[in-house]
Amino acid sequence: MHIVDGALSNPVVIGGAVAAVGGIAMGLRSLPLERIPAAGVLSASFFVASLIHVPIGPSSVHLILNGLAGLVLGWAAFPALFVGLLLQAVFFGFGGLTVLGVNAVNIALPAVLVGLMFRPLLARGSPLQGAIWGGIGGGLAIAATTLAVAVSLMLSGDEFILAAKLVFFSHIPVMVIEALLSGAAIFLARRVKPELFIDTKGSLA
Amino acid sequence: MIRACVLFLALLAPLPALAHNVISSVFPSGSDIEGEVGFSNGDMAADLLIEVFDAAGAKLGETRTDADGFFLFTPASPVTHVFRGDLGAGHVAEIRMEAAEVAQIMGESPIETAPAATGTTAPAAAAGLSDQSRAELARMLRTELRPLRQELTAFKNKSDFQSILGGIGYIFGLFGLGFYIAARRKIGSSA
Repeated sequence: MHIVDGALSNPVVIGGAVAAVGGIAMGLRSLPLERIPAAGVLSASFFVASLIHVPIGPSSVHLILNGLAGLVLGWAAFPALFVGLLLQAVFFGFGGLTVLGVNAVNIALPAVLVGLMFRPLLARGSPLQGAIWGGIGGGLAIAATTLAVAVSLMLSGDEFILAAKLVFFSHIPVMVIEALLSGAAIFLARRVKPELFIDTKGSLA
Repeated sequence: MIRACVLFLALLAPLPALAHNVISSVFPSGSDIEGEVGFSNGDMAADLLIEVFDAAGAKLGETRTDADGFFLFTPASPVTHVFRGDLGAGHVAEIRMEAAEVAQIMGESPIETAPAATGTTAPAAAAGLSDQSRAELARMLRTELRPLRQELTAFKNKSDFQSILGGIGYIFGLFGLGFYIAARRKIGSSA
């Protein structure tokens, strides 16, 4: 999931960095005061989630939790995930520093898209309905991230189908787990703190 | 070889982690350059295409790894060699061997019992050993050292509790700072 230094061609790295800067600027603008603590908590959980490894056969994959961040934060997930990624690169050596922009786009953009698509649905209906939408969003974010990783590899010269297959299939268990986790988190949030999803009031304040 | 390892580990330090961590190294082996590529969990890259470039990026040749992830390359000119193997899904191993070291290999190769210059391969085995037994010894050493090296890499990549807590601390600190700035701005504009 985290692409390492040297795997991508320079145009992809530079393009990713530019896109990441744009995303962060956009995210910071749509991060009202009340949301900053939530963004911090989600950033921290994203940071730690990658340490939770799910063994699959001889290898293992780790949780990502970008979907949940996108569902709760919308655009503001971009800076939150970027901070998490930066610290992952510095502390654990996940991904490289030069490809940080590409990694940020690969992980945060699906989160933002899922957030934009599913956030309005989360607040509607019963908590259980919200949780189901949240679960779908959480799984979808991972799927989109694997595709984004495959696209970055393809732009650097890899064969898309091969790369996409490899990343996508190895992350199916993560999709399932993340869907369940996101669903559970959304369910809890709907029960305990439903105002988290009331968008307009939060962003206008 | 130790130098190559240290160099390689130093280069690798800011790279990936845990199960999907690529490890790779090159070292002189007689008149050849020998190297290995694999994952830090012990899966070596079998039958992987290794492309060889010089420092400027011009292709010098290619080779393949055997079942244990080892590859051999015979240098043709004493320039910096860059070995590059793509393990798929964003995992790329790139190892450099500097021109001086390549030149040393090539200069040493025609003489059967090179004196002290054997240096990096087997310092103690310089005198009185045929090429064959030296190669044998080198292979033995490598086999012995491999688990050690893997363990070392795994250890270096272990995420300990302190760094997790430290990272979380950084995150909260950063967002706290952001909160402070945002709050100040808000107070300033309303006052």
